[in-house]
Amino acid sequence: MSSKGIVSPARAGGNARLARTLLIAYGFMLPMLVVKAVYTFWPILFGTYLAFTEYNIISPPKWVGLRNFEELFGFGAFAGRGPDRDFWYGLTNSLKYVLVVPIIQVFSIGLAMLVNRQIPAIGFFRTAYYVPVVTSFAVVGLMWGWMYNAFGPVNFILTRLHLMNPENPSSLLSNPATALLAIMFVTLWKGIGYYMVLYLAGLQSIDRSLEEAAVMDGASRAQVFWHITLPGLRPVILVCSLLSTISAIKVFDEIFVMTNGGPAGSTYSAMFFVYSAAFQNFRYGYAAAAGLVVAVVSLSFGIINFRLTRGGNAS
Amino acid sequence: MVDLELTRIRARKRQRALLTNILVYAVLVVVAILSIYPFLWTFVTSLETSGGIFEFPPKLIPEAPSWRNYAAVLELVPIARQFLNSVIISFFGVFLSVLFCTLAAYPLAKMEFPGRNFIFYAILATLVLPNEAGLIVNYVTTAKLGLLQPELGAFGQFAAIILPALPSTVGLFLMRQAYLSVPTELLEAARMDGASELLIWRRIMLPLAMPTIAAFSILQFVAIWNSFLWPVIILRDRELYPLAAGLLDLAGTFATNTRAVSAGAVIQIIPILVIFFIFQRYFMRGLEGAVKG
Repeated sequence: MSSKGIVSPARAGGNARLARTLLIAYGFMLPMLVVKAVYTFWPILFGTYLAFTEYNIISPPKWVGLRNFEELFGFGAFAGRGPDRDFWYGLTNSLKYVLVVPIIQVFSIGLAMLVNRQIPAIGFFRTAYYVPVVTSFAVVGLMWGWMYNAFGPVNFILTRLHLMNPENPSSLLSNPATALLAIMFVTLWKGIGYYMVLYLAGLQSIDRSLEEAAVMDGASRAQVFWHITLPGLRPVILVCSLLSTISAIKVFDEIFVMTNGGPAGSTYSAMFFVYSAAFQNFRYGYAAAAGLVVAVVSLSFGIINFRLTRGGNAS
Repeated sequence: MVDLELTRIRARKRQRALLTNILVYAVLVVVAILSIYPFLWTFVTSLETSGGIFEFPPKLIPEAPSWRNYAAVLELVPIARQFLNSVIISFFGVFLSVLFCTLAAYPLAKMEFPGRNFIFYAILATLVLPNEAGLIVNYVTTAKLGLLQPELGAFGQFAAIILPALPSTVGLFLMRQAYLSVPTELLEAARMDGASELLIWRRIMLPLAMPTIAAFSILQFVAIWNSFLWPVIILRDRELYPLAAGLLDLAGTFATNTRAVSAGAVIQIIPILVIFFIFQRYFMRGLEGAVKG
C-alpha cells in the first residue's frame, strides 16, 4: 500500500484541494462504480430483501417474513412436511463437491513441481495442461458427454479393466450412483491446469538458496518439501483452496451442461436448485432465499479455510 | 584412486538423474494425454463422415477426412451469425472492461482521498460471494432497464449481455497492482509540468501497465467468449446467441447428430486456442500477478 505524497489533500489549499481530488478520483472511478453498483451491489441488497418475499417479477414482491426459509428447512408453517427434498439434495451434493478441493490442490501442487524444471519440451506440457482451462463449459460438457457415452472411450477402458459389463454398458452419467463422481472428475480435469500455473508461480517465488542450503545440511527431499517448499507455498495454497472451495460449493456450469440435475435428481447442486427455482419455476423469492443460504455456507467455508491455512502466513 | 571414485559417483549421479527424468516424462505424458484426448477425439469425429462414432478401440486419426460436417452445421444453425455475435460481444466487452478497470484503478493506486480503502475492499470482498445468486436480480434489472425491448434490437440485447461483465474485480485488482509499481516521482514531475490527471493516466500509467493490460484483456476475452449462461437466460432471439450459447442450443436440438455438433464445438474453440497460443506468455503472467500481488 504505497500512497505517499500523491495529490495530498493535507497540503495548503485545504478544502478546495480536497474537493478537487475527490472530483478527479471519483470521476475516474465513476463508470466502474455505477455499473458495479447496478450489477453487483444492488443484487446483494435486493436479493437479500427478495429472500423474505414472494416474487414472480410480474407483480411487486410480497413480504412473507421467514416463510421461504421455513419451506427450505421444513420448520414453522412447513414443520409437518420436512425440508425441501431437492434443496437438501442440492446442498448435500454441493458439500460433497468440496471433496474435490483437496484432491485438486494435491494434484496441481504435484504437477507444478513436475513442470517446475528446465527440461526439453516442458513448455509443451504446461500448455497442454492449460488448454482445458480456456475451454468453455459448453464445449467441455459436450466433449465429456461423448467421453462418458455408453460406448465411448471411458467405458472402453472400464470394460477392459473388467469394471463394467461389455454386454450391457451404460454411461457413468446416467447412473445415479456415479453421475456426481463423473462430473467431479470433469471439474478436476478442467481446473488442474489453472491451479498448476498459480502454484508454479508460487514455487518460483520461493528462495532457491533456502532449499540448496537444506540439501547441503543433509536434508532429504521429503524434508525439504515439508519444511521449506510447503510452508513457502502457504499463501498460494490459501488463495487456491479458497477459490476452489467457493467454486465447489456454487458448482453449476458442469451440471447444467452435462446432466441438468439428473438422473433422478442425483446431481442437483445448491446453485442448480437456485437456478431451477428461479428460471424454471419462476419462484424468485424462494430462489433468492436458497441463494442466500448458499452465500452464507460459502462465506463460512471461506472463513474456515482462512483459519485452517492460518491466514496464509508463512510462519 | 580419488579420481576414479569421483567418476564413479558422478556416473551414478547422472544415472539417477536420467532415471528421474524418464519417470518425470512418463507422468507428464500420461497427464498430457488425459488433458488433450477429449479435444483430439472431438476433432477426429468432426472430420469423419462415415463409420461408427464410438468404436473400440477409439480412433486417433480420421479415415478419409472431409469438411462435410462443417458445411452441415453451417446449414443447421446460423453459426456464422453466432460467430459474428461472439466477436462483437467479446470485442466491446474486453475494450470497455479494460477501459473501466484501467480508469478506476488509477485513483485507487495513486491518489489519497477519503473512502479509498473502503471502496477497494468493498469491491474485493464481492469476489467471495456466489455471483450466480445475482443472476435473479440482474435478470430483473436488465428487464427493468428496458434493454430487452424489441425496439432496441441487437444493440439492447448485446448491451444487456456485456454490461454485467464490465466491472471486473480481478481486472481492477490486477491494474491496481500494476500501477502501484509505477514510481510516484514520475507522476509528481508530470504534475509539476502542469499535466492533467487524465493526461498522466493516458501518457504514463497506461504505457507502463501495458503487459498487465494485455494479460487482463486475454483473461477477459476467454471469459466473455466462453460464457453461455447469462446469454441463454436473457436472450429471446436465437439469432443473437453467441457461439457458446448457440452450441448448447445445437447440441440440444441435434443431439443425435454428433458429427455436426462436434464440428460446432471445434468452431467455438479454435479462436480461443489461436489467441491462447499467440499470447500464452501474457496469459500466464496475468495469473501469476494475481498470486504474487
